[in-house]
Amino acid sequence: MLPKLHIAGLAAVAALLTSTAAQAQAQVDVTFWHSFGGKSEEALNTIVERFEATNPDIHIEPEHIGNYEEIVTQLQAAIPAGRGPDAVIMEVTRYGLFADRGVLMDLTPYMDADPLKQNLYPFAQEIGIYNGKNYIVPFNSSTPVTYVNRDIFKRAGFDELPPLTTFAEITAAAKQIQERLGEDGIRGIAAPGQFTRWGLVMGNGSDLVDRTTNEVMLDTPKTIDAYKWMASLVKDEHVASEDNVTDEDSGGEQFLAGKVGIIFNSTGNFGGNYRALGDNLRVLPMPCNDGCSVPIGGAGIGILDSADQEVKDAAYKFISFAASPESNALWFATTGYMPINRLTAEEPVAKEAMAGQPGIDVAIKQLDVAHGRARPPFVTWMRTQEYDLWQAMALGQRDVTEVMTEFADQTRAEAARLSQ
Amino acid sequence: MPRLTPYLLVAPLIAFIAVFTYIPIVTSLDLSFREWDFLSPEKPWVGLANYRQLFASHSFWQAVWVTAVFVVISVPIRLGLALAVANLLLRETRGSRILRAALFLPSVTSTVSIAVVFSWVFATDVGLANAALEAVGLPRLRWLQDPTLALAVIIIVNTWKQLGYDIIIYIAGLQAIPTELYDAASVDGGRRFHVFRRVTVPLVMPTTYFLLVVSVIEAFQIFAIVDVMTHGGPAGATNMLVVELYKIGFSLFDIGQGSALAVLLFVLLVALAIFKARVLGRRVHYEA
Repeated sequence: MLPKLHIAGLAAVAALLTSTAAQAQAQVDVTFWHSFGGKSEEALNTIVERFEATNPDIHIEPEHIGNYEEIVTQLQAAIPAGRGPDAVIMEVTRYGLFADRGVLMDLTPYMDADPLKQNLYPFAQEIGIYNGKNYIVPFNSSTPVTYVNRDIFKRAGFDELPPLTTFAEITAAAKQIQERLGEDGIRGIAAPGQFTRWGLVMGNGSDLVDRTTNEVMLDTPKTIDAYKWMASLVKDEHVASEDNVTDEDSGGEQFLAGKVGIIFNSTGNFGGNYRALGDNLRVLPMPCNDGCSVPIGGAGIGILDSADQEVKDAAYKFISFAASPESNALWFATTGYMPINRLTAEEPVAKEAMAGQPGIDVAIKQLDVAHGRARPPFVTWMRTQEYDLWQAMALGQRDVTEVMTEFADQTRAEAARLSQ
Repeated sequence: MPRLTPYLLVAPLIAFIAVFTYIPIVTSLDLSFREWDFLSPEKPWVGLANYRQLFASHSFWQAVWVTAVFVVISVPIRLGLALAVANLLLRETRGSRILRAALFLPSVTSTVSIAVVFSWVFATDVGLANAALEAVGLPRLRWLQDPTLALAVIIIVNTWKQLGYDIIIYIAGLQAIPTELYDAASVDGGRRFHVFRRVTVPLVMPTTYFLLVVSVIEAFQIFAIVDVMTHGGPAGATNMLVVELYKIGFSLFDIGQGSALAVLLFVLLVALAIFKARVLGRRVHYEA
């Protein structure tokens, strides 16, 4: 009896092992590097779980690597070591170099065969194209918006929100806040971070790099004027903290803590801001000092060309799922990042968010004036250098015109070097 | 077989050092003569072009200057302070043991955590340092925005972090000095300062020499504190050589030029070590 039981048991274990092995063999694993933490990561994990439930033969392994810059750095080190991921989130102005060097695969054939393409907004279609080929599919698209702490404005004597369209109007409001509430440790405005600096230059009728010709525009009069105004908030008007200049995240933190009246930031910060400020949060379009124009930011998902074909197929399936109306609606409602799919607005989750979270749709309403930015390889270099130069200008160490003229020359030289 | 035993015993360590030290040094040397961005399959030979670009770069020379200033100021402060504190904590009492442990604690604490905490302490608007100044009626300082102050903050934080290690090493060195020498000096009527200068300082010279070599190398290689607290700013005022190396290599994708800087730093440190051995090594007495 005992031997028989043993044999039956062994047979059962063997059958189980065989089926598990077969399942493991059939399953395709996709490593996915991303940049989302907190609530955003929770929403991403929900999307992954839903995808895996409908695609049991694919396992997505999401890994939080850090911010966009840290992803680029880690990717650089991982690629030569053969330890790169299969899919990766890449910021929209930084993927050009990776596409140029053949690291990212051309997704055009996948996109052309995918009905998703017809449903993507034009900006979402455009953002992934580099040199005529599709390298990333947008996931978290954004524009910068103006966030206002209504309570601070009331305490500073504004019964109604003043117009915040021109640079002069913003300076005036920030000064009034600073004068009335400065002693309570409240600042009128947060010094703009790099994404919104680019946005404010565009709102002044210029750009850093021409988006059609890739020509450097750092030394055009309107770009210089925009930088002069931004620097003046810190060094002349003293309505923005110098801490925000040396630590670009600090402005956002101070706004969440109710210590700043106005901040320009990505619409992707909407969720966090709304949770922190609730009904005191107001969201306005970006300033239109000289015409209205805002940059499209955020990131898209690309697939590494080094991945095996079946992994590439599985990764694209996931990318397509992440851009579907259901996934996109969940992502939009949780984070505030813009919908990229025309059908997203029809989803109940999205409708609920629009009705219950006033201001979440401001970025969508700005889409008429939203533009993708130039992304030639030298943009990565330019963005890295810009931090130091911005510090020198905002802290009053160097003259804005002199810095921007020199910066433009250096950027042109770098563009020439990289194009060789 | 017995003849091979010693070689076999050291083989794992040799392999470890070769893989993690010598091979990277040689690879770095090779890469410094090539153009590479980590992504391209090709690494064309460019001769001395990376070195030429480096020598023509303003930010490289700024990093050299800032690092030199940092080393020249921070190392003597570290060693002087460590010797003075070690002297005070030499006696074996419960209080001195607690203080030694307290002072050593930063040495074993994560550098990044320390840098994050000190970033808050020295924040202009909400930092503890400015709150303390305002509490006694003094104006706020732009700790991390003023170029001079930012470097001073880096020196303060680095000294705070490293001091405990130096103190412990100095205490060990001081304890090795024979007490008879102090007794003899005392009989001869030597005052406290004279005894310190004529007996303690010369006899603790081997320890000072060791700490000097180690702290100069550490100072030249400072990275984490700067990267977290200032990213080399404001406007390059705390841009040390390794921060510049990281920026060139990992933000600007220029591995060739980054490797050239690494090679130059290596050569500089070796040259300094030889210089110290020639100039100071002769004055070091290992026996009383």
